[in-house]
Parts: sequence; C-alpha cells; structure tokens
Amino acid sequence: MSSSTRSTPVWRIVAEREFTTKIRDKTFIGATIFTLLFLVGFFVIGSFVEGRSDDFDVAVVGSADTALVEQAETVLQADSPDGSITVEEVDDADAAEALVRAGDVDAAVVSGEDGYELVGDDDVDTGLRVALTTAVAQDVLEENAAAQDVDLEALNEGTTLAVRLLDENADQSGARGVVAFAFALVFFMTALGFGMSIAQSVTQEKESRVVEILAAAVPIRALLWGKIIGNTLLALGQVVLIVLVGLVGLAVTGRRELLSGITWAALWYVAFFVLGFLALAALWSVAGSLASRQEDLQSTTMPGQLILIIPYFVSVMASDKVQTVVSMLPIVSTMIMPGRMAQGDVPWWQVAVAILATLAAAVVFVRVGSRLYERTLLRTGGRIRYRDAFRLSA
Amino acid sequence: MLSVRDLTRVYDTTTVLDGVSFDVRPGRMTGFVGANGAGKTTTMRIIVGVLAATRGSVTWDGAPIGAEQRRRIGYMPEERGLYPKMKVLDQLVFFGRLHGMDTAAAAARAHDLLDRLGLDERAGDVLETLSLGNQQRVQIAAALVHSPDALVMDEPFSGLDPIAVDSMVSLLRDEVSPQMPVLFSSHQLELVENLCDDLVILSRGRLVASGAVDDLRGRHAVRYRVVLTGGADAGTLRDVPQLSVLDAQGAEALVEIIDGTPEKALEIIQGTAQVAEFARVVRPLAQIYREAVR
Repeated sequence: MSSSTRSTPVWRIVAEREFTTKIRDKTFIGATIFTLLFLVGFFVIGSFVEGRSDDFDVAVVGSADTALVEQAETVLQADSPDGSITVEEVDDADAAEALVRAGDVDAAVVSGEDGYELVGDDDVDTGLRVALTTAVAQDVLEENAAAQDVDLEALNEGTTLAVRLLDENADQSGARGVVAFAFALVFFMTALGFGMSIAQSVTQEKESRVVEILAAAVPIRALLWGKIIGNTLLALGQVVLIVLVGLVGLAVTGRRELLSGITWAALWYVAFFVLGFLALAALWSVAGSLASRQEDLQSTTMPGQLILIIPYFVSVMASDKVQTVVSMLPIVSTMIMPGRMAQGDVPWWQVAVAILATLAAAVVFVRVGSRLYERTLLRTGGRIRYRDAFRLSA
Repeated sequence: MLSVRDLTRVYDTTTVLDGVSFDVRPGRMTGFVGANGAGKTTTMRIIVGVLAATRGSVTWDGAPIGAEQRRRIGYMPEERGLYPKMKVLDQLVFFGRLHGMDTAAAAARAHDLLDRLGLDERAGDVLETLSLGNQQRVQIAAALVHSPDALVMDEPFSGLDPIAVDSMVSLLRDEVSPQMPVLFSSHQLELVENLCDDLVILSRGRLVASGAVDDLRGRHAVRYRVVLTGGADAGTLRDVPQLSVLDAQGAEALVEIIDGTPEKALEIIQGTAQVAEFARVVRPLAQIYREAVR
C-alpha cells in the first residue's frame, strides 16, 4: 500500500474550488460590479447635486473688486468648508451682465453710484448672497470708518456671535445615518446572497451525487471547512472592495470630515462582518445538507433567513435604547454595532461584548453545524427537519 | 486483499444486508451480481466508508481498513456524481488533489486517462455539455485518476454502448495491477462472464455464492449435449442408467453423467444409436446465477 505525502490540506483544495468556481460565475461577477457601480453612481450624483450649490463663479468689473469677492469666499467657507467662489474679471458692467445672462457666471458684482449691486439671472443663491453681502458691508464699513475716523475695532467689540455646538457631528448626522444604514444593508445582502449560494452548492453536491465520491475520498468535516473558508474569503473580498470604494468615494468627493469620522467604524465593520459571516456559514451549509433537492432549500434556509431579516429590521426601525442592547448580540452586532460607531462614540466594553459574543456564537454554530452536516450530508430521499437532524446518529 | 466479514446493515427494522462475508482478491476482477435490492450498493458504500455497517467489518490485508487506505480506493458510485458545471479537466484534477496528488501530477494523469478514453479534446469543456456516455467515461477517469490501490465500481458499464464498454474494459485491464483488488457490480451477466475471474452473488441481503467463476461452474455436474442421427429419438437415452437426461427434444438431449467417465458414457450411447455430436456444455453465468439465487 503506497502512502502519499499530502502537500495541500483537503480544506484548502475544497476552498480553492469554491473560490475559483464562484469567481468565474457570471452572476456573481455581475452582482459585484452592479453593487460597485451603484456605489460610484451614488457618489457621482451626490457630488453633482452638492457641487452646484457650493461652487460659484462671480463676474467683477476690473481688478479692483477681486479682493472683495475673495473676502466673500472666506465668509462662504466659514459655513461650507468645501465652497469656493471663482472671480471672472470683465471690462465693464454690460459685459458682466452678458455673462450672467449667458449663464457663464452665477452672479456679477457691479459698483454703481449708490454702492454695490448684485446682478443675478433669475435668482442668486442664498449662501452666495449672504457671503457677498457680508463682504460688501464689511468692506464699505471699513472705508466709512476710516473716512469718519472711527475706531472700527472698538465699535465692533462684542458684536460677534460665537457658535458652540454640543453635538459637533450633528451637521453630519444625516450622512452618518446613511453610512450606518449602508453597513446593515451590505451585510444583510452579502450574508443572504452568499448564504443561499453556500446552501445551494451543498444541495447541488447532494443532488448530483458528487458528495458520494467526496465523502469516500476525504473527511466530511474537511469539506465543510473548505466550503466555509472559501466563501468567507470571497464575501470578505467583496465587502472590503465595497468599503474601499465607499471610503475612496468620500475622499474624492471632498467629504473628508465625514471620512475621518467613519474610517474606524468601517474597519470594525470588516472585522464584525467576518465573524458574523463565519457564524452563519456553518448554518447555511447545514441548510444545504438537510435538503435533497433545490426546492427543499426554501424551507431549510428559513432559520438562516430569519436570523438576518429580523436584525435587519431592528437595525432600521428600533429605538436607540433597543439598538444599544441588541447591538451586543451575535450576528445582530454586525448589522448595528459598526453603524452605532459611525454615528457616535460607543463605550469600548460594548464593542468588546459584541465581538466576544459573536466569536462564541461562531464557535458554537460551527461545532453544531459540522455535526449536523456530517450526519445529514449523505442522506437523500427527502428533506430532513432540523429537529430530526439533531436526533440522527452518524 | 480486501475482505468483508459478517457485514450487516439494518435500516430501522429492515435488514438489507445480513452477515455477508467475501474476499476481493488482488489482481483479479471480482464480479458482484444480484437482483435489485439484493444489497450490492449497500455493501459497496460500506466498503468505501460512506455508510456505516450495523455489524461486521471491512478489512485490508487482514486489518480493519483505515481512512488513509479508503482514500486509496477508486470509487465509482451507482448514482454518478460529478460537478455538472465544472470543466472536465478541472474536475479530474480536483479529485486527484483530494486524493493527495499535486496539481501537476493530477493534470498529467487526467490528460493521459482522457486520451485513452478518447476524450482529450473535450478536456476544457464543461461536463454537462458532454453526452451521457462521455460523462460516464469521465466518471471512470475520476475513479482512476489517483492510480488507486483498489477499485470499487457500482454498475460501471450500465448505460454504455458496446463499443464504449469495450474501450472501458480495455482501459480497466490496463489499469488493474497484480496487487489491485477490483470489485464491480453489474446486471450484464455476459459482461461479468467475460471480464471476471471471481464472482460474488447476493440475494435478498444474503451471500448465496462466492469464489472463482470456474469453481462455481465446477460445483455442479458437467453437462453434455448429445445429438443423434439416423432418425433416433434422444428420449431413448432415458433408459441408459449411467445418464440423467435433463432435457430431450427430437434427436437432441442434454445429459449429466451419473456414473463413469465421458469416454465410457459416449461408448454406451454409441451402443444404442449413431452419435452426430457429443459435447461438453459450458454453462452460462446466467444459469449459475439463476440456480444460486433460486
């Protein structure tokens, strides 16, 4: 009897097959590309909408008023840091008006006998108007003060209204809410999509009877591990890609403040994702091995679907207090905890509890899962109930 | 040598396999026959380890078979199983690697097998695009890819046309080494007859006969066909005390010799009538089988 030196462990060979089969699958490639395009489109449209309101072109006559508009830009940026005003110098007031009419500039600042005039087409953006008005007022005030020999600083003493926000992230709470929702949605979709495909591939092996050859050749447990690891790596790759495109999108569209606020949450999200996915993968494999035909999957995957759907709705609808509690539960935590971290500070112990709970759940699920999988994989001829599967002997 | 001893399998209350013992000797083809539901598939599944026996053991060279030895068996299940959407070559390489080969060796071996099965140009095709007969050839290749130490094949030739059977048989003859036990079940008794050295017959979960085909034949009295000429009635041979006439029609009779040598019997017959033919009848396997399971 010749004994062979096994260079590659079985689980790796199985994982490789899962990986390469899936990565060549047109549906999978299509879905991934679609998700990424959707994300890119989201940023493109977002920046288009916002870019219109914060970047302005203003025409001025001669170079004298350029400084005025530059001053207005400073005012504008106090409110929206990414805003800008570009100065367009023209020869006379008529040329400035022509530019406004043609839509080449958003407005023109023209000085007349009674002072400055802001010329717009049918409307001038409020932010721009406020910025220019403030700049003009300040400029003229300074001139007048000098003419009257008034100490402007003394006059202005104490007139500034300082702003102090109790929740400094409040202006981004909308955007952060969207990020939190995206975290939950992406996990929900990816875990469900991959989960169903794990279950299907197990059932397909049962249906095509290839499982008989596999089981004769290698330990069933190694098959399960290969499947779990292969699919977890794929899901991880997909989610890392999505998170990267998301972060790059934020950086490119100039939302640096939001970006720095959620980067850590995004990294935690990837960690939570892997653990949550791992815990579920074994359950999905069992769902596949309980079925004898693809049609059986509808009922055998029900527990897996519920474990994802219920937390998803909780994450979308529940009150803050409920979210705080359930965000520490395994699997639910993947959908809620990173979102909470993106929206504000979460005490570290809550993160630790969530991680440990998910780890524990992953260990239990994989253990129970591999036992059920071993017992049911080679049984054909009908759907097996979960209850019966627990009672079966090998 | 691969042996099973007292193999028993009970499902709920039904005993599908009842104390079956036999040997699969190395370097010989052992045919495994029996009616549907006789327990052939159950036996084979227990041998390769995908089913547990309720009682009894499977041994390899006298010791209980282990996982590593089972991995060295080439197995072709009754219900064929391969990945429908995987390419033929990828599939064979995958199975080769599962059996411990490295990728390059598995690929070389797979190409060699496909070549000998006349399928090398389909190596890059997805399995489900092949005809059923060709899929079956790939299935055989999957069982052979790791150059197994033993072969267990459940109905390997069912569904194949005679030419495909021939090419498969010649491939098997090439592959079977003198150290290699081969067990295959089949409904096609003529095929088993041509191919097998040994025979195991199951009936309703019990072993009814096992051993070398020649021995099984010899276990029953040799029969002779006698044809008389000159208008003689073969029925008259019933009057010869040394003969037992099993069947007589016109000038032709099938007889067993109860007493004496064939030469002596011929002499006696020639004393009563003119003999056109006196020939030993090689009993077809089908007959041995029918008698065994009766």
